Amino acid sequence: MTETRVESADEQRAVELGSLEAEMTRLGAEGAMEILCRSLSGVVGLAPFPPARASARFGCASIEVEWASPEPAPAAPAAGAAAAVEEEEPEAEERHEVRAPLVGTFYRAQEPGAKPFVEVGDAVVAGQQVGIVEAMKLMNPVVAEVSGWVTDVVAGDGERVEFGQPLVFLRPGGQE
Amino acid sequence: MTQAGGAGPPFETVLVANRGEIALRVVRTCREMGIRTVVVYSTADRDSAAVRLADEAVQIGPPAPRQSYLYPPAIIEAAVSTGAQAVHPGYGFLSESPDFAEICARHGLTFIGPPPEVMARLGDKALARRLMADAGLPVLPGTRDPVSTVAELVPAARRIGLPLIVKASAGGGGRGMAVVRTWEELVPVFRAMRATARSVFGDPGVYLERFWERAKHVEVQVLADEHGAVLHLGERDCSVQRRHQKLVEETPAPRLAEGMARRLAEYAVAGAKSVGYTGAGTFEFLVDEEEAAFIEVNSRLQVEHPVTEMVTGIDLVREQIRVASGLPLPVGQEEVRPRGVALECRVNAEDPERRFAPCPGELAEFVPPGGPFVRVDTHGYPGWRISPDYDSLLAKVVVWAPEREQALARMERALAEFRIGGEGVRTTRDLLRGVMGHPVFRAGTHTTSLLDGTDEPAGGTAPAG
Repeated sequence: MTETRVESADEQRAVELGSLEAEMTRLGAEGAMEILCRSLSGVVGLAPFPPARASARFGCASIEVEWASPEPAPAAPAAGAAAAVEEEEPEAEERHEVRAPLVGTFYRAQEPGAKPFVEVGDAVVAGQQVGIVEAMKLMNPVVAEVSGWVTDVVAGDGERVEFGQPLVFLRPGGQE
Repeated sequence: MTQAGGAGPPFETVLVANRGEIALRVVRTCREMGIRTVVVYSTADRDSAAVRLADEAVQIGPPAPRQSYLYPPAIIEAAVSTGAQAVHPGYGFLSESPDFAEICARHGLTFIGPPPEVMARLGDKALARRLMADAGLPVLPGTRDPVSTVAELVPAARRIGLPLIVKASAGGGGRGMAVVRTWEELVPVFRAMRATARSVFGDPGVYLERFWERAKHVEVQVLADEHGAVLHLGERDCSVQRRHQKLVEETPAPRLAEGMARRLAEYAVAGAKSVGYTGAGTFEFLVDEEEAAFIEVNSRLQVEHPVTEMVTGIDLVREQIRVASGLPLPVGQEEVRPRGVALECRVNAEDPERRFAPCPGELAEFVPPGGPFVRVDTHGYPGWRISPDYDSLLAKVVVWAPEREQALARMERALAEFRIGGEGVRTTRDLLRGVMGHPVFRAGTHTTSLLDGTDEPAGGTAPAG
């Protein structure tokens, strides 16, 4: 009955600085995927508009992101997405809730004063980071499981959240 | 964390890192002490009685214990963010985890239990056996060190003789043990136990002990503070077991040889002193007529602690909390005067007709017994859904009487009163009633083999009588 998965401060530091592979071995598939998704959201953020397809693989760690040809000029996320919400009514009431993966403190941005990961109206892709839950001084990314548009951020910045508590509401869709 | 006695509770806020009846039991004592309580819970326990009674509750994870009740980061986070100063681990889950106790300390939280290093040494059952032998406690013939090869196994087993028991060093509480009755079984059982120990406990170490077929299982409750005082609170007989799991406990132990209870108490106190034990703990022994042998220490509160509370008038959870805050024990040994007889029956949600398979379901009807000298520790209530994710303990029925005959009659009356019903819900209640009427149990001469054979589905639900 003694299963503990907490590492010493040294190990934590090693994880923060250390190799992806070592971290994957330690975390197992679930944790490794989280890290991949974190990197993925970084790559996704390089372009000014959301990609057509994004994939992360655990095996030997791989990230693939495809952007559609820029001609159709997809609505630029920030301002444009709000408009997109208005236009595409079909799945009227459908709502996806991004929930806290663990108990801790919710943060909307990477650091105090920084731009929030998402705002209402933003388009997000599956795997994109939408917040952070800090637990025991570890920053755990909160990622959207589906692509869509942010309709509400229901947890406040710096709010204590419980496991499974809804943080961000999405209206699924887009990126066929 | 030392506090001058008198003014105010020892802690302002205590987090209860457990569930079920024990979480509720700890919350109740905290309330009596004026301590604010925080209960952590999984999504399966959202509507639990402990969650309802606590001042605050934090949902820490999904039903799977590994991601909730066994997951220290979530518990620590909940404790720190709610301003708790101490963590009560209950029994099971993280209660005997030295790692968890250390993590608590690192986050400025008082772990309500013995020091982590003491827990670590006693948690290694092979090491505990050696430590207690060195402290002068009798142990069963067995191996002093863990056995890792067949070459070591065979001569050791020849020396000990059959039947013997192969135990996982990291096991305990009835888990991780197998009996060997024939020489043909020896090597296969040894290999299987090493494999089990490695996969279940993460430590393949096993050791051997002589197996006493017809022994009583008797344990001694100790209570120790950080100032060197060690008390014993009498013994409990826990011989009524099924598959090494206790079903009925009572104090004092019936029909012990002259002077045996005193000897066991002295062993327990000596053992506790030898390792610097603090808080509540239990020393378990096997007793065969004039002979006794130490088996293991449980470094935590035990399920059956209420029987000791009933005869001594001492609230063990209260004393655990006080000791953890650095306070000295309020009484000396001569002031501990057990009175009368107390019995406990564990009503489990299990189906006796399906080999005692745990039996989840919703309680449609749930009316626990009451009346004079009856205590029922349960988290059940009508509408409560028994979860398949946790152990099957549903209620502990505890009775007190001035003497044993009356206590048995009272228990029989209380069990008969207990109304439990619901779709698919089966319990051990009738089996327990059978035990109360069993002539060998009534005579008090029973050993751990009392219920042998009652696991068989065709053999009826209760022993004869």
